[in-house]
This record gives sequence, C-alpha cells and structure tokens, in this order.
Amino acid sequence: MIRSTILFPLLALSGLIVILAACAQMSTLPSLPASHPEALGAGPVSCSECHEDNQKGTMKAFGAFNHSPAFVKNHRFYASSDDRLCATCHKGSFCADCHTNQVEMKPSVKYGNRPDREMPHRGDFLTLHKIEGKLDPASCYRCHGRANNQSCVACHR
Amino acid sequence: MKKHLCRLLSAALFMALPAAALAETTINSTTLFRFYQDDRPGFEKKQLAPATQFLGVDVDKLGDGNLSAHFYGWGRLDLADKSFNNDQADGNLTYGYLQYRFKQANAQVRAGRFFVNEGIVNEQLDGLNARTDLPLGFGISAFGGATVHTAHIAGENTDGKGDGIAGGRMSYRYGGMLELGVSGVYETTAPTLMNPNNIALVNDTKLGDHRLIGGDIWLSPVRMVEVMGHTSYNTETSEVAEHTYLLNVKPLKDLVLSGEFNEHRERNFFFSSAMFASMLNNLNEKSRSTGGSASYGLVKGVELAADYRHYTRDIGDADRMGGDLRFTLLDNTLRSGIGYHYLRAGSGFAVIPSSTASASFQELRGYAMHDTKSYFAAVDAIGYFFKERINNVSNAWEVVTSLGYHLTPDLALSGDISYGKNPQFTDDLKGLVRLTYNMNYTGKGDKK
Repeated sequence: MIRSTILFPLLALSGLIVILAACAQMSTLPSLPASHPEALGAGPVSCSECHEDNQKGTMKAFGAFNHSPAFVKNHRFYASSDDRLCATCHKGSFCADCHTNQVEMKPSVKYGNRPDREMPHRGDFLTLHKIEGKLDPASCYRCHGRANNQSCVACHR
Repeated sequence: MKKHLCRLLSAALFMALPAAALAETTINSTTLFRFYQDDRPGFEKKQLAPATQFLGVDVDKLGDGNLSAHFYGWGRLDLADKSFNNDQADGNLTYGYLQYRFKQANAQVRAGRFFVNEGIVNEQLDGLNARTDLPLGFGISAFGGATVHTAHIAGENTDGKGDGIAGGRMSYRYGGMLELGVSGVYETTAPTLMNPNNIALVNDTKLGDHRLIGGDIWLSPVRMVEVMGHTSYNTETSEVAEHTYLLNVKPLKDLVLSGEFNEHRERNFFFSSAMFASMLNNLNEKSRSTGGSASYGLVKGVELAADYRHYTRDIGDADRMGGDLRFTLLDNTLRSGIGYHYLRAGSGFAVIPSSTASASFQELRGYAMHDTKSYFAAVDAIGYFFKERINNVSNAWEVVTSLGYHLTPDLALSGDISYGKNPQFTDDLKGLVRLTYNMNYTGKGDKK
C-alpha cells in the first residue's frame, strides 16, 4: 500500500515531465501546408515534375507520390498513412466521388464526361458482379462491407 | 432519419453561405437530370427522371485562420416514377465537420461527420478525431463517436453495426525510409437479429462485433524500392483477418514494377458483416490473390501498363491478365486510352456454377476526351465478351458519349447519351444532363 502511494505520484510526475518535454519539442515540428500553394493543372500530375525528389525530416520523398498508373491503382496503401499529404491538393469530395457511405449512382455515371478518371464498375457491372464477387469478395467488402451497401442489401441478405 | 439528414445538410450549407463570403471557399456542385425507361417482361413499365444534386462546400481560414468547415452530400428528387427505392426523394450527408489545424506538428482536431482512413481503420463516424506528430518521429491519432448507420439488412431493423465506435493509430517514422503503425478499432456490441437464419458468423442471434487491431508498414531502404501494407487481427475470433502488401520497384524514372499479395481469412474478415458472410459457401477458407504489374512512360504523355493477377479460392483458381495504353497529349487537354484484359475463371466462378460452366471473359475498353476552354467532349466504349453465354447472351457492351460547354471557367453544362446491350437488357438507352459548378476562390491546389 505504501509502495503504491509512493509509486503512483512518481509515475504521474514522470509522465507529466515527459508530456511537457514532448509539447516543448512539438512546437518545433513543422506542419504540411493546408493546401498546395499553387493551382494544379487538369489531369494526373506528378509531384516530382516540380518538386525536387528530396526528403526532409520524417517526410517521404515526393517521388513516392507520383501519380503513375501503379500509384492510382494502389492509392489505398498511400492514403492510409499519408491522407494529410493527399489533402493538400485534393478536397474530401474528390475521395467521396467513390468512397462514401451511401450513394445510389455509379461514379462512372456521375462522371460520364471524365472517362480518364478510371471510375469503378463501368459498363454492365450488374452482370459482372456475379463473377467478380466470387473472384475477390474482399475487394467488394472494402467499399460495400461497412458502408455504401444500399444497392447490395436490395437483393443480398 | 433521411429527412433529418436532408434538413441538416440544407441547414449546414445555408449557414455556410455567409461564412463563405468572408473566408476562402471552394464549392463543388454537380446537378444531374437523368432520363430513362425501365421496360422489362414481368415488371411494371416505368418512366424515370431523377434529379440529383451533389454539393460540396469547403470554407477555409475561419476564425484565427486555422479553422475550416467541410460539407459534402447529395439529394435526389424523382420527377417521374420512383427510381431507386420506395422514397420519391432521398439524400445523404457524406461528411460535415469542423476542423482546426494547429501550426505545428501536423496537429488537427475534427468534429462532426467524417471518414477515418488510417492503418487498418476505414470507418465513418459522427464524433471527434484528433491527431498530431510527436517528437522523434512518433505520431498519434484517436477517434471516437457514433457509427454512421446505413441501409438495413433485408428483413431486419438494423444494419448490423453497433452504435458507438472508437480507435486510433500510433506510428513511427524514420528519416523518410520507414514508417511503422499500430492501429485498432473497437465498435460497441453488435445488435441482435430478429431472423437469424443463415447467419453463419456466430451461433446465436447476434452478429459478430467489429473489433480489429493491426500493424502497417512502409519501408523504402533505397529510393527505388518501397514495400507497404498491413495485417489486421480480429480480436473476437483471435485470428488474423487480412494480409495485404505491395512491393514497388522503380529501376528507371518512368518504369514502375509492382508485386502484390493479399490473403483473407473469410470468417475473420467478414465477421461483422452478415451480408458478406451469408454469400460465402465456406467461411473457414482462406482466399488469396497475388499479382504483378509494370507501367512505363514510353515518351512524355504515353504510358504503357501490363498486369497479371492469380486468384486462389476453394471454389477454384483464376487468372486475369492484360494491358493498357494511355495518352495524355496537347497539354493534358486530350486524354485517351485503350485496354484489354482476359479473365480465365472456371466453373466455380460462373454466374450459375455447374461442372461444365465457365466464368471466363474478355474485356475491351477504349476512351477519348478533349477538354478545351470552350467545349469538352468524351466517348467511352467498353465490352465484355463471355466464353459462355449468360442469359443466352454472349456479350455486354456500352458506349457513352458526352458533350459539354464551359459557360464560364467555373460553370459547365454537359449531356451524356449511353447505349448498350447486355444480359440484363436487350436495349439500354440512357440520357443525362449535367450542370457542374467548381469554384475555388483561392486558386490553390486542385479544384477538387
């Protein structure tokens, strides 16, 4: 009992010192800008077209985010750890064109004038989903498992 | 609930208008009028004319300059027969939150409805989210609030989610070479079902609880190589749910070689989803996909990509392979591409599985778009050619043409006409009129 009454204040004091030290250090840590300082052109861009492919502090090199076909196809890996960097150029509505909790329209219908954006479920996906769903149900689940499944539950239990 | 959301969205956007006049504001608005007729044997003939409004508003530099407000949602009104569900009108607030960004350490606080996508966490909630970098390369984020419910499971009064959700991620970064993360999500107890037949997840009437932890990694020991991915672990089943990893190698400036590995333990991955679990024949199986791709910039504005993926499931193996050629010319105003893919998939993947069935098909797609200061036009054609007929039809194809005019640099009017034939419809003709307003007061970043 005596040991715990001494130990707890010591631990609390140590924790407080660590927090204060961390806060003092944090005031020197830089932040990403809220938005890209210049307007960007239409179509996919590559960061290293303008930025030198260097690396500062704990930031990843700009070249890692070049919007190559491979990056666009695998963007989920980057977005799950660097969404703050994404947000300097893209508004949230850019992501919400596909990633949403409820929408009744395929993104490719909304953006029929932008075939270059590679929106999912083009063409007769009503037929195709009967094959694709058996092939890789996990890929369906990423978007339609916890959200945006209003169309799915119309037929599927 | 939907009426409340529509009112909330309208009120929020209305309240944002005066603030928009004072702060840096971005507005993205797309108004769509669609016209089509649904005429199928055995069903009532319908004339459909839904009007849909998508609206996003971002108001930056409020208060001391670090506060911002963000809203995005949509609403639909059927001008003729009911188009989608039993409601003549529908709508949804996708996100709506206030955000405060601190000047140091990438610290920020969000309050309202938002998405969290960090590590293994991919959730939407009404609540709070705070995050910051810490000294020595560490970082921390946390969130908590109410889950955002979606459509009910058929025959139930629930979507299967618990009412509360919390979680977060801790990370460590080292010198632009390494990032390690540990993340988790905890949802309150899942609801009880009224009709639990065929729910294979748990042995009583209750759905599985949504509780996961996991780790993620990004490793780039040299600039030309990066490995990234994550593994999640279901704490309710005490087993791994998912491995998903990507390897990128960039031996040349315009050449990217990728390899991907994905493995899912179905019961653990779909544990909290009655809908997905009930569609699987064997919840105890492991499904796996491995593949590789290569993309290369032949010359400026011309990219060639090839990809291959192998799928392994208990119902069989399958392979998909193909390539794409993309052109970005005339200072990005002309964009086009062609692509071909072949899926080799056996009887287990067929629409109606049988010992002689096949799910194999070829996919062919081509598109072109031209966007000038005055007009813009696009054509997009896609076709699927089935090895085995589906509903006695050997292919499905669709051509979408779009033509539009920039009334001002921010305001555009366009129209689409699409026509196709497929196993669902002998004729599939649709029309659409689109009014788009993308306004960015600051001229910074992308317009979206």
